[in-house]
Amino acid sequence: MTSAIGLNGLQKTYPGSPPVRALRNADLTINDNEFFTLLGPSGCGKTTLLRLMAGFEVPTAGELTLFGDDIAHLPPEKRPINTVFQHYSLFPHMTVLENITFGLKRLRKPDAEAKRVAQEMLDLVHLSDFSARKPDQLSGGQQQRVALARALAPQPRVLLLDEPLSALDLKLRQSMRAELKRLQRDTGITFVFVTHDQEEALAMSDRIAVMSQGEIQQVGDPATIYEFPENRFVAEFIGDADFFEAETLGGTSYKLPNGETITGPQTKAAIGAKVTLFFRPEKATLKRAGNGLSGRVSDILYLGNSTDYVVELVQGGSLTVRSENHKDGTAIAEVGSDVVVEIDPAAVRVLSA
Amino acid sequence: MTQFGAKIRSHAALIPATIVIGIFMIVPILIILVYSFLAPGDYGGVKPEFSTDAYQRLLFQRDLFDQMVFDPAYLKIAFRSVWVAVVSVVGCLVLGFPVAYYIACQSEERRNIYLLLITIPFWTNLLIRTYCWILVLRDTGLINGGLIRLGLIDEPLTLLYTEGAIALGLIYTYVPFMVLPIYAALERLDRRLIEAARDLYSNRWVALRHVVIPLAMPGIIAGSILVYIPALGAFIAPDLLGGGKNLMLGSLVQLQFSSARNWPFGSALAMVIMAMVLLCLFFYARSAKKNGGGIQH
Ligand SMILES: Nc1ncnc2c1ncn2[C@@H]1O[C@H](COP(=O)(O)OP(=O)(O)OP(=O)(O)O)[C@@H](O)[C@H]1O
Ligand SMILES: [Mg+2]
Repeated sequence: MTSAIGLNGLQKTYPGSPPVRALRNADLTINDNEFFTLLGPSGCGKTTLLRLMAGFEVPTAGELTLFGDDIAHLPPEKRPINTVFQHYSLFPHMTVLENITFGLKRLRKPDAEAKRVAQEMLDLVHLSDFSARKPDQLSGGQQQRVALARALAPQPRVLLLDEPLSALDLKLRQSMRAELKRLQRDTGITFVFVTHDQEEALAMSDRIAVMSQGEIQQVGDPATIYEFPENRFVAEFIGDADFFEAETLGGTSYKLPNGETITGPQTKAAIGAKVTLFFRPEKATLKRAGNGLSGRVSDILYLGNSTDYVVELVQGGSLTVRSENHKDGTAIAEVGSDVVVEIDPAAVRVLSA
Repeated sequence: MTQFGAKIRSHAALIPATIVIGIFMIVPILIILVYSFLAPGDYGGVKPEFSTDAYQRLLFQRDLFDQMVFDPAYLKIAFRSVWVAVVSVVGCLVLGFPVAYYIACQSEERRNIYLLLITIPFWTNLLIRTYCWILVLRDTGLINGGLIRLGLIDEPLTLLYTEGAIALGLIYTYVPFMVLPIYAALERLDRRLIEAARDLYSNRWVALRHVVIPLAMPGIIAGSILVYIPALGAFIAPDLLGGGKNLMLGSLVQLQFSSARNWPFGSALAMVIMAMVLLCLFFYARSAKKNGGGIQH
């Protein structure tokens, strides 16, 4: 596997008082042909990293490579990288066709070839009938696809996408997800996709980098990120999570604050060390009686395909349990009923911090 | 009934604007139009006799035998005026665009300061400012004096009383009219479009040519019109910096109303200037329409 983009100790600090450390020491390798996602909350530095790759910002320190070549100080027009901007940034004075051929013309491709490629791109994004329109005569979703076609037309080595779906409504967003995925597979171009929507990231990516406050927290494929988050931030940011403090008893046993023990995974932590355990709400089962943590249902959130039960534990604290609804749609428990939360030991994770 | 009332009320709302435009625009133009078809009075003013003499004088002259013969003297003046006005527009554009671009790239408070600086020349009388150019341009002026002292030239260059001096004076006078509308257009321009162009393999000059200038076009055209119109009819700069031999339309009009005492001819000249301006606007409007409903923002 060749590396398309490599970051080595990449840093970006915006001047100011105080200076903003938007990206601190990022190390990352993005593979060729990969659908790679940068995921993180607002202000964590996703756009900054993307702008560094595109060439709109110059790194404060560190290395940035494209297929092994150092590009950290190359101007954007010299990089075979194109961007789909968050607000599309289509040229308002040009038609759809002129927008799409813009990059090809700057690369001095012959007119006939530019026309042909543009037509292919229009077909690819299903906009063949719109080539003579101006951007302000298109809907948001259509503009989005023009932006995509415009960035793909010069056949870049890497395509950067900055939250390209955030301005679309839910239905359109979902169909565009599939379309983007298909485009990436068909073109074989490396996609670097920015989003703060974890569901989007999980659904589309080959690999995800989770970012927080200018730092890359974890890199991995969607299942690993979801199932085995390395720290509390990643666990909380990707999906819902139940946390509780415990003390290691050695082996696979953990002691809860109220003295009950619970079985979990092997840990390297010393006996008696305080650790944080967590599990995903859908990995626990709600029972009327049995083994597990006992408590009382304090709140019920109906989600359509499932229901969240908030359980106040007898030992203190609360957990959320996600349960599939009964076939007939009736609830498993009511607010105020006494229940037992059974946790599959295989689903319990130990967090380092 | 209520619809009728609403109609009357909306018409009533237009009355103040109609009065202002009528008094300050239509009426003066009508007076000039009427004057241009009358005969000149003996001591200025007009005599109430219909005459097309004023218009004939634009192209013809009575020779010794009282025959009308073609005389291109005034036509030449008209052409020279248009030429100098066009040069002024181009000069203002070349000077004004970079200034406007620079200001638009500054931070908010800086911009306001620069815009204020742009208007500073208007705080002093135009006559005095134009006189200062004489001090700069004349044979013993700042430029010639400096060059001679530096030993670069022996004889002073002829700078004053040339068409170039007139154009310089006009550019100096009207460049703010170019800067302000272009600035307004550039300030509205989305910076991210420039980034998009850079991303698509344009260096900053190519991005300027294909994205910034087309999108600033409404401002460029507005500025050009705002410079062209007064430059065509200007008389202070042509009079002071052009001397007697480089007569321009504006000075000619002024001359007819003052020492020449031929008001009808002055009025006819004024109508010609207006016609030339309207012609330019007409062509602009037509080309804008052809480009798909004008320039888009
Ligand atoms: N030009 C700039 N000058 C100074 N600070 C900046 C600049 N651009 C971004 N920042 C700061 O850098 C940090 C990271 O910003 P960035 O735009 O990369 O975040 P993001 O992850 O893209 O957020 P969002 O999801 O809201 O788009 C923020 O704190 C932001 O305020
Ligand atoms: Mg962002």
